[in-house]
Amino acid sequence: MSASVNLELFRRGVPAEVKLVLLVVVSLVLMFVDAHSRYMEPLRQGLSVVLYPLQRVVMLPRDGIAMIQDYSSAAALLKQESEALQRQRIELAQVVANAAQLSTENAQLRRLLGVVEGNPTHPTVVVQVLYEPSTPYVRRLVFNKGASDGIAPGMPVIDEGGLVGQVIRVTPFTSEAALLTDEKLAVPVQVLRNGLRLIAFGSPSNGRVEVRYFSSDADIKPGDVLVTSGVGGAFPAGISVGTVESVERDSSSGFAKAVARPTSYPERYRHFLILKVEDSLQMAAQPHTESVSGRARRGEQG
Amino acid sequence: MIHQHQPTPRTTSRMLNSRGVGGDSLDMPVDIRFVWGSIILVFLLSLLPWRLMDMAPDLLMLVLAFWAVHENRRVGMVSGFILGLLLDVHDGGPLGQHALTYVLVCYGADMLHRRLLRFDLLSQALHMLVVFMVARLVTVLLSAWVTGVWPGWGWAAGVLIASVLWVPVGWLLLLPKHRLDDVDSEVG
Repeated sequence: MSASVNLELFRRGVPAEVKLVLLVVVSLVLMFVDAHSRYMEPLRQGLSVVLYPLQRVVMLPRDGIAMIQDYSSAAALLKQESEALQRQRIELAQVVANAAQLSTENAQLRRLLGVVEGNPTHPTVVVQVLYEPSTPYVRRLVFNKGASDGIAPGMPVIDEGGLVGQVIRVTPFTSEAALLTDEKLAVPVQVLRNGLRLIAFGSPSNGRVEVRYFSSDADIKPGDVLVTSGVGGAFPAGISVGTVESVERDSSSGFAKAVARPTSYPERYRHFLILKVEDSLQMAAQPHTESVSGRARRGEQG
Repeated sequence: MIHQHQPTPRTTSRMLNSRGVGGDSLDMPVDIRFVWGSIILVFLLSLLPWRLMDMAPDLLMLVLAFWAVHENRRVGMVSGFILGLLLDVHDGGPLGQHALTYVLVCYGADMLHRRLLRFDLLSQALHMLVVFMVARLVTVLLSAWVTGVWPGWGWAAGVLIASVLWVPVGWLLLLPKHRLDDVDSEVG
């Protein structure tokens, strides 16, 4: 017995302390490099491809339950939906008539002003939420489609309420989006009422969007609707972002802060739409995948 | 509190025979398939959204630490590191955060395992509470420094719950071994 124990002891090889120091150093390097650069993305992507089948298998019961629920409540849901759609159709008919008139008027005005026609529509991908990552300080969603479906970092995510967030990380089969309320996300917005251009930031503490750094005499008041302004190119103009709830004016600093409630519902549904905005490729800070196009663009500019 | 046994002849003989709770793992190894099966099962469970809760205990950490104590030569820091890295990728958080926690926990378990195997599960849980707490504190502080956001104190409650769970989870994980021991004693 004791001989076998000794043999086992010798077979272990590397002492625990060496292993500890080695693994701790590797972990620390990973943490710091990952926090400050994107060099770890290939590793992350590789591991996520390994992980993807496991994630799908684990989520199977949930998907099954959701399917059964959908199926069992299909009749009631259909009735509800059809009523809602009826109402919407009537409402939309008015809007469409109005929009048609506006669009012809707009085209005419653009011609008058000599403004170049922009491309208002983008190809889209419908995605489903795979899971919500459990990190305490970020608001993220992971979707079930990735680079293989043409999704790239920087693309906006929308639902029927408006802007939900932005794709920040893509693996071959999944994509991760930062929600509007994520602190890292900044969206160029515009007050619909008067066209005032602002920047909206996430404030994860209360699920709201904050508009900061504008002068305290700016014309913005509770009830104002914020839409994306299209400045910067990552988000197409005119997507609904939020409704202003309160404005805090600080006369001593000369700056004001407005808090808005997002109009989208990232927590309610499972399906979202990703807009394949071409410009987002340029915006995304992922040097190794689009270095060629980036260089080409820079070349054109320079 | 901790229930201190007087070493009666019966318990002494039990300890020598390595029967009962906290038997020495050297002479009666648990089936390797059971060890890894339980770890993989808990890893898969960890991919589910229940960890979103503020005070969710880290069950993977618990099971890894348990096997690092009871099956010291099979489960260790490298296994912890790899599983932690996979969990980090799943969470989309700072890469290496869970890996570091699990490496530290497995190291603590490795250091303490000879001592811990002499105790019952409750005393083991008290020892491991300290190991869990230190390991989590280190990584929480580090990731708070790296990301610039303090995640609150929910993790400490999670560590407490994980330590409390050491007793029932440990009992469950040692069930097959007890059964083997029983068969052994019946035969002998």
